[in-house]
Amino acid sequence: MSTSSPAVDALARKVRDGGRLSRSEALTLYTEAPTHLLGRLADEVRAARHPSGVVTYIIDRNVNYTNICVAQCNFCAFYRPVGAADGYVLGFDELFRKIDDTIAVGGEQLLLQGGHNPDLPLEWYEDLFRAIKARYPAFRLHALSPPEVIHLSRLAQVEVPVVIERLMAAGLDSIPGGGAEVLVDRVRRELNCLSKATADEWLDVMRHAHRAGLRTTVTMMYGTVERPDERIEHLMRVRELQDETGGFTAFISWSFQPSHTERGGAEATGVEYLRTLALARLVLDNVDNLQASWVTQGGKVGQLGLSFGANDMGSVMIEENVVRAAGAAFCMDELEIVRNIENAGFIPRRRNMHYELLGDPIVWERDVPRMTALAEARAVGDASVPEELVRYRARTPTGKRQRAPR
Amino acid sequence: MSDDASLAELRETLAADGGLEEAQVRLLASADLLSLGVLADEARRRRHGQQATFVRVAEVAVDASAVETPGRAREIRVTGVPASVDAAETAVRAVAGQGVPVTGFALHDLMGLANGHAAEFARLLRVLGDAGLVAVSELTVDRTVDPESAVAVVADAGLAVSRLTIQDARGDSRLEWVRTVAGWSFPPKAVRAFAPLPRAESGATPESEPATGYDDVRQVALSRLLVDNIDSIQVDWALHGPKLAQVALTFGADDIDGVPAVDTDELGPRRTSVEDVRRNIRAASFTPVERDGGFESVTR
Repeated sequence: MSTSSPAVDALARKVRDGGRLSRSEALTLYTEAPTHLLGRLADEVRAARHPSGVVTYIIDRNVNYTNICVAQCNFCAFYRPVGAADGYVLGFDELFRKIDDTIAVGGEQLLLQGGHNPDLPLEWYEDLFRAIKARYPAFRLHALSPPEVIHLSRLAQVEVPVVIERLMAAGLDSIPGGGAEVLVDRVRRELNCLSKATADEWLDVMRHAHRAGLRTTVTMMYGTVERPDERIEHLMRVRELQDETGGFTAFISWSFQPSHTERGGAEATGVEYLRTLALARLVLDNVDNLQASWVTQGGKVGQLGLSFGANDMGSVMIEENVVRAAGAAFCMDELEIVRNIENAGFIPRRRNMHYELLGDPIVWERDVPRMTALAEARAVGDASVPEELVRYRARTPTGKRQRAPR
Repeated sequence: MSDDASLAELRETLAADGGLEEAQVRLLASADLLSLGVLADEARRRRHGQQATFVRVAEVAVDASAVETPGRAREIRVTGVPASVDAAETAVRAVAGQGVPVTGFALHDLMGLANGHAAEFARLLRVLGDAGLVAVSELTVDRTVDPESAVAVVADAGLAVSRLTIQDARGDSRLEWVRTVAGWSFPPKAVRAFAPLPRAESGATPESEPATGYDDVRQVALSRLLVDNIDSIQVDWALHGPKLAQVALTFGADDIDGVPAVDTDELGPRRTSVEDVRRNIRAASFTPVERDGGFESVTR
């Protein structure tokens, strides 16, 4: 496949020869290469890296333990300010029930993330993790994105490595790559998320985590205010850290979901998603796994991602709250994920967070109830406050009132 | 079919407008998605260049008691099954004369009104044409008896068929319908578009698996490559959603139907449907061109 652009043709040859793309070369491909060529190149790189034709997925549950957040990013439709009537913190028992449900459908991990809640001290997280590990020793905790770790570091007034060390001692298994948005401070300033973590701070958390022996993922939320060269900058910074530590297991990109957010605007298109995914496969030559984001793109474009560089269909999720709050409510249960993988000509295999293969799909072995909608953190109107919260010191007046003896 | 020689041979045959042999069709049907997409995109660009058309449609129920059509509509489409010839004629007259092309009805419903009598069917079409109808909205290929003859009667009455649709097809039958349509002969411009994605909500029952993204874009691409007798390959903005409709443009589709005539402007002008359509077309590297129900470009 040749194009009318000699520069693009030369870059296609460079990719096929195994060359590493520079910033300017990546930008040329991203902005000038025909969509099918980008897809073809990404598919070739994917096939070379994963020649078995296996496409993986994980059965886990995406739980948001609290929606109360002081960060106030203007692209987020999920958070509630301190004192909001519909703010919540999940109790330990609620989380145990969610884990029971997850294990029942073959799941082996919680993806646990939440708002920056000033009334949840580091000890709450440590106790939660210990309690989970005590009840479910083999169950994995993929928890707390870098901005949450930074928030805890500030709250507890201890260094990030110490937070990571304490969380690992309590049972943390790996760190999800959320909160990266676009790792360019100009962009983060406009998104009102610079204060939760600068690009350097976000990457530093991951650097410390990798040095401590944790594996992590890395994400990119594009489609807000960033320019194409800033998306490339994000990829380059990820590639640099990966060269240094090798700690990222996977890269996941998705488009900003604008509904109900303060920022608003329009969502990046499906073709932009496929082009961005393909480019990530070409630039991130040191990251093994790329996920297809069916939860933001829908099942159809998500599946098409498998022809544009992705080798993983992400998670069954079971529960999702953040993207749903911004207007996207797609659902794929294990049967549907497996069907889509096979329909695209690949071999479906379950994996864990480290991308170790766990085996064939559960649905091949036994009947699993169909799931037609992802669960929510809590039923609407449930304003209950977990009993155990009284054991932890609140910082805000609202939190103190909630925890005062009655 | 990543096999370069096979790809090059197919490309030459398609570019020369030559008919495909059975073995080549089988090769196409088994091709990997991106190779198929490249060929379909080339075929689509040979016909339509950089342009991708769309139409804003106001749907009016045939039995609507009050008719108010939005000013931004470029096609007024009468929907539903008319109870009688008079009801069909009345519905068309109620919306005609506004300077917006009026289309309406499914061809098999009109044939039903004529009780299968050819002469009665031809008379009905002339009545509707006189009332202001410019085209029958759709001919559903899996519900219409002898579609080629039916289209000829429509053309004789001075009307067109806006698009051929497939109501319900799964698995291999999806490709079979494409091949069937490709084998039909129509008078020039009698059929304006082929919408190859089945309209029935797949996956509605446990035994009917929903179509996947691969299924859909493959169907669109094969349609562009095999269906030489219809100019446009169409997807539906409202039915298929913006993302799939946009991706389909890069796999051989050139026309987007079903853009709402009423903009939802609650989130500002960037979120209005027509702006979203234009933005999606541009992001797919095509030039958006609005058309009307008669498939004429709208310049105002």
